[in-house]
Amino acid sequence: MKKLTMVLFLGLSVALLFAGGGRQEVPKLYVYNWSDYIDEEVITSFEESYNVEVVLDYFDSNESMYAKINAGATGYDVIFPTSYMVSIMQSQGLLAPIQQDRIPNLVNLDPRYLNFAAQPALSYSVPYMISTTGIGYLSSQVGEDFIPSWSVFGDSRFRGRMTMLNDMRETIGAALKYLGYSMNTTNPSELEAAGDLLLEWKENLAKFEAEAYKNGLVSGEFRVAHGYNGDIYQVMEENDDILFGIPIEGTTLSVDEMVILESSQNKELAHDFINFLLDAEIAAQNTNYVYFLSPNVPAYELMDEEILEDPGIFLNEDVLAKSEPLLDLGETNSLYIRVWDRVKVGD
Amino acid sequence: MIHRGFTWRRNSDARGIRTLPSVIEKKAVEIGLTLPSFLWLLTFFLVPTVIVVLISFRASDSFGGIGAEWTLTSFYEISQQNFWPILWRTLKLSLYTTGLCLILGVPVAYHMARAEQRTQQNLMLLIIIPFWTNFLIRIYAWKVLLHPDGIIKTVLATLGLVSSEATLLYNEGAVLLVLVYTYLPFAILPLYSAAEKFDFRLLEAAEDLGGSDWTGFTRIFLPGISAGIVSAILVVFIPALGSYIIPEIVGGPDGQMLGNRIAQRVFTDRNLPQASALSSLLILAVLAPALVRFGLRTLPRRWSRGQA
Amino acid sequence: MARRRGFFTGTISAGVLFFLWLPIGVLVIHSFNASRFSTAWSGFSLVWYERLLNDRAIWRSVENTLVVAGVSTLISVILGTLAGFTLYRYSTRLQRGHNSLVTLPLIIPDILMGMSLLLFFLAAGLPLGLGTIIIGHITFCVSYVAITIRARLQDFDYGVVEAAQDLGAPGWVIAYKIYLPLLLPGILAGAMLSLTLSLDDFIITFFTAGPGSSTLPVHIYSMIRHGSPPVINALSTLFLALTFVLVFGYQKFLRRKV
Repeated sequence: MKKLTMVLFLGLSVALLFAGGGRQEVPKLYVYNWSDYIDEEVITSFEESYNVEVVLDYFDSNESMYAKINAGATGYDVIFPTSYMVSIMQSQGLLAPIQQDRIPNLVNLDPRYLNFAAQPALSYSVPYMISTTGIGYLSSQVGEDFIPSWSVFGDSRFRGRMTMLNDMRETIGAALKYLGYSMNTTNPSELEAAGDLLLEWKENLAKFEAEAYKNGLVSGEFRVAHGYNGDIYQVMEENDDILFGIPIEGTTLSVDEMVILESSQNKELAHDFINFLLDAEIAAQNTNYVYFLSPNVPAYELMDEEILEDPGIFLNEDVLAKSEPLLDLGETNSLYIRVWDRVKVGD
Repeated sequence: MIHRGFTWRRNSDARGIRTLPSVIEKKAVEIGLTLPSFLWLLTFFLVPTVIVVLISFRASDSFGGIGAEWTLTSFYEISQQNFWPILWRTLKLSLYTTGLCLILGVPVAYHMARAEQRTQQNLMLLIIIPFWTNFLIRIYAWKVLLHPDGIIKTVLATLGLVSSEATLLYNEGAVLLVLVYTYLPFAILPLYSAAEKFDFRLLEAAEDLGGSDWTGFTRIFLPGISAGIVSAILVVFIPALGSYIIPEIVGGPDGQMLGNRIAQRVFTDRNLPQASALSSLLILAVLAPALVRFGLRTLPRRWSRGQA
Repeated sequence: MARRRGFFTGTISAGVLFFLWLPIGVLVIHSFNASRFSTAWSGFSLVWYERLLNDRAIWRSVENTLVVAGVSTLISVILGTLAGFTLYRYSTRLQRGHNSLVTLPLIIPDILMGMSLLLFFLAAGLPLGLGTIIIGHITFCVSYVAITIRARLQDFDYGVVEAAQDLGAPGWVIAYKIYLPLLLPGILAGAMLSLTLSLDDFIITFFTAGPGSSTLPVHIYSMIRHGSPPVINALSTLFLALTFVLVFGYQKFLRRKV
């Protein structure tokens, strides 16, 4: 009886091993992206137009993707890192130059956002989506007239019901911005002050949370959450009480970009894919799906009304003026690490 | 009878003579049986681990690369940081987890071992099948359960055991709970494996001789499954030391464990050498009790020899 | 007195089983929850099951996961049983080294094992793919199987083997007719352990996977950030249902045969 079990088990494994072999032989494009960042229909549409297969893999953070690629993993054609990571990858020689004549749709890009991209000249990367960090909150608890400000994290009325991002640069950046400093400062005394402020704010926090703050807002577990606009907009669908605001002191804008790996075997197709995603209709379709903004001018008129009218997604000039991208700091990154360690150690 | 490399006693005198071919044959068999796992682990485990230890002695560059010079910077930097709270918390939680897994696991193993053959298999399946769903999803399910407005809290609050403002999540208690949940099956399996082999008639004999339940349990059963207990400790305590996903998801802002720090060094800080250095220290710290383990390995043999 | 003992352990076992299945109940319930977030119930819905069936990336991951788990469990059980046996049976210097090799993998944090394997594969020129994932899984599973088997051999009455030898039984018969039946529950326990570890492994798989060979845990981890976790609840529920049907149906089938 046990032998029979083992034989069946073996047989099943072997069968499965061979089951994978029955795929068609079309060219494949290997894409490494954030989960749920491209509408499935868009992928299918690309596959049909070009008669290829798109193989999607997902990573959960820029850092883990980089750790792997930098160690030498190959095979991916197009990757979607955030701009600060693009700079790092570029400095390590991991990226292939973008041949701009293969991407006619580049002209669609909104020039106002190019300054936030890793290279405004678009020599190694092409912007895909913009996201802004801000504050999601329950209007019933915090008040409808709440003026979004980073200082809310110092408000002990919400003690134990607030979260900040579990992201060193974002959270230290929030403190820096509140104190009136740049989010990319390398001044040790400014950083020290930010660290002190964070230790004060920490008393009011339930935890540092990078993604489940959404759930917390929906359920009412958290009343105030430091988070990304696209994420918070997803939860606003489910709960009218939730609002999103961009702090008056200013915040950070990040751009997720498309890059082609130097080691890619399929650079032509990769360029076609990027071009496809920059098409006005496709870009609008993606934005309507993920609630992040595609900086694509002709696409704006095709996006859903609610997205266009919302200053949280479709940013206005004020907000842009007050905001900064998070630049990679190279060696001086260690200053931030020290502050973050101090904040996180607890006792 | 404990079997060592060679035995001097065989039942028949004639066959007691060790001939050279039989000695070589025996050695060949031993080597042949050992080689597969030995070679595999040597290649795919030892070599990579040595790589990790070597990396701790290299310089780091801020882009996550590994420098070309040999240096002790990483260790120095570690000594400058305030590690004691994290180490203490990690050690404490791992010890408690191991303890709780044993306290819960031993009775379960006992019960399973005494059950009928078919029930044993069913029980084993029932214990393991929940763990074929995904690890992360289970942790998130615990978040739902421990939610301030969730069912567990409501029941406890109604019974007056906790205040209505309390949060069951984001503290060490929650981390401990989920750690125990995650490692319990790993404890139960080796315990069961050893218990199933235990001769329960020994317990009956003890009873007949007038011993109490408790005596039988502690002085006969427990030593009888001691190798299982040691295995259970190994597969719970040591991996628990390195856990980081659980404290990250259900731990509070003050809940960082050593694993989180290592993960932070690898990903966020892109400092592989320091991450490797931390791991090397962890390895070192764990090897010290390995001597204790060696002792424990020979003790069961003396115990069981005592009862034979 | 034995009955009292049995009652006590029985209660604890029931309690433990309840504890183990509690979150499972939650995740099954929420697979039917119209809300994307498990923290609020907004009505019964099958939308996640629908999404699941249309998501081909998930099914590719499922396939990869099963293949990896199957193959690595098989090989780990073979290697681990041999290892557990030789560690018990012989006490030579070779075995002392062998013992260290077998128990050390448990100490190394996953992240570093993953990273080091990746560096090793790249240095060796091995292309990343299902094969490298399988190698990684076997490496950490062997230890678990080995110590389970070794625990099983405690108190083994070697006299049985000696008697058989005196009666002239050759080694392989002894192995097959004496050791194997004895070890079988331990082997099954080790196989279960190995299967579970492999199905759930995230970090080592992440580092050793090649493009297109992602497994489910890796896929899920990235979905928690950006995607729709209830799809995974739906998948888990389906998987649980399937497992139950297979396992208990199989047992019924066997009983009828006998």
